[in-house]
Amino acid sequence: MSTPLIVGSVAYTPNVVTIWEGIRDYFANGPAEMDFVLFSNYGRQVDGLLAGHIDIAWNTNLAWVRTVAQTNGECRALAMRDTDTVFQTMFVTRTGSALSGLESLKGRRLALGSEDSAQAAILPVHYHQQAGLAEGDVELLRINSDVGKHGDTGRSELDALRAVMDDLADAAAIGINTWEAIGRDELMPGAFEVFWESPTYSHCNFTTLPTLSEERAEPWVEQLLAMDFDNPAHRPILEMEGLRKWVPPHLDGYDSLFKAVKQQGIPARW
Amino acid sequence: MVNHGLVLNLVERTGALPMGATVTVSLDEGDPEHSAELVAAWCARSGNELVEVRGHVAIVRRGRRPDPLAELAPDQVPGTRLWIYTNFDCNLACDYCCVRSSPQSPRRALGADRVAQLAAEAVDAGVRELILTGGEPFLLPDLDTLVATCTAALPTTLLTNAMLFRGRRLDMLKRMDPARLVLQISLDSATPELHDRHRGARSWERAVTGIRIAQAEGFTVRVAATLEPDRINELGPFRDFLDTLGIDRENQVIRALAHRGVAETGLELTVESLIPEVTITADGVYWHPVSADHDDQLVTRELFPLRDAITEVQRRFVEHRARADAAAQWFPCA
Repeated sequence: MSTPLIVGSVAYTPNVVTIWEGIRDYFANGPAEMDFVLFSNYGRQVDGLLAGHIDIAWNTNLAWVRTVAQTNGECRALAMRDTDTVFQTMFVTRTGSALSGLESLKGRRLALGSEDSAQAAILPVHYHQQAGLAEGDVELLRINSDVGKHGDTGRSELDALRAVMDDLADAAAIGINTWEAIGRDELMPGAFEVFWESPTYSHCNFTTLPTLSEERAEPWVEQLLAMDFDNPAHRPILEMEGLRKWVPPHLDGYDSLFKAVKQQGIPARW
Repeated sequence: MVNHGLVLNLVERTGALPMGATVTVSLDEGDPEHSAELVAAWCARSGNELVEVRGHVAIVRRGRRPDPLAELAPDQVPGTRLWIYTNFDCNLACDYCCVRSSPQSPRRALGADRVAQLAAEAVDAGVRELILTGGEPFLLPDLDTLVATCTAALPTTLLTNAMLFRGRRLDMLKRMDPARLVLQISLDSATPELHDRHRGARSWERAVTGIRIAQAEGFTVRVAATLEPDRINELGPFRDFLDTLGIDRENQVIRALAHRGVAETGLELTVESLIPEVTITADGVYWHPVSADHDDQLVTRELFPLRDAITEVQRRFVEHRARADAAAQWFPCA
């Protein structure tokens, strides 16, 4: 048996243990056995990847951008979830507040999630700048309640929604996963509505370095992509991780975040 | 109007839970009913489970627990076997009888018509085996008719103390179908002392004679012993004795005494601690044969349609399991 590949992941919920034990079991006795290591935040995970402590990092989009920055673009993405290729940010307000389009945010208060969340902080600022809003046109209420996890817990986005409900903000920027989790605008009619939704962009991916040979990476990716939602043994893991199938990476989907990070002067490492 | 923060709280609190764990959320005191509906709708949509609503709180599980019925072995699924109490009166007065049967017990017979209807409906309801028990069924003058109705429908087991196999009753036994009927005979020990202490003088000797008669008539005999819980590990000599009687090990059933009926000691058995075995008596449908004379385990007075009775037992079992799991979550050890 060859040495197993070591995959890093951030422990943003206790279920991460269940998910990765399931994935490890799936790879057991195959051509690309693996084990996993959990980190408390993405900063330490990327450090671990660069230091060679792990072979592959299950990275958010911001962690990917930072790894690219720290490796001068030499890192590579191996795969992502189908849901990672169509991620979106939703701008949400109270029903009936008459907001329409990003321009209508001028002079209003926008609640953002944790500062290292691409979907709830970095990209929302990028989008309203793209819409022609200058710094100061929108009063930003930053809610940094899960910094380090890049927004994975959803906590800061829920807090942003609470701020809207409590009239501390006029709108909130949240990921589409949080919008789905609260039942969109269908479960609580009259509570929230979306007044602008972003183009789709890419979210997480498995990131590795040139030190991992193609010879070792390829069988692992091939087996990963073979996980089958219709297979009862695979399905619970896929459901918990929030996908129907693993797919090759869509790197074009990171363009907006690369631009946003550059515009906002976000450092390559925290 | 319902507080919309309730859904935000649900998302946040369940998101932090391990799969299968539960959380208690407060409902709006002003409108708990509408709040509970919102929680139920959110659970249905998000793949989580509303375990229970109690007053102003709801208990929600992260994910959905597996179906408790699917977790049971196939022969444990309630309704796979159907127990039928044919009478209740008995020629013995065992001092641990779980349903208080004795010669003084009034007969509470289901009668041939209802047994026939049960057997017919059992097939359609998915029952795979019928089990007839008394008191002592051989006290019934038409037992052979009842048994024939049952064996024509499904494989059947008949519980008896085997002490009445002579004359007219032996003739009834001879008319039963050994290919479709197993006789389950009560015997508690390898020697007369213990058995007779509980069941009456010379009852051991007559039971052993009855076992031999049943075997001679071509029946498969299963021996069932009832032991005090602290004696359940003293089985070696008893099993050796049953071997000499030609009872296969798979037909040697040892069960612990239940604290039910006239028994003064024994295991405490409740609906929460018992996997149900649907049991029919003249008085109604019960959770389990050990409690067929106790209202705390009465499920319904309506015997028919049998399928409905089985469905109700299964529904209650699932409900009890869900509550038990939730209770386990409320009292973690660490």
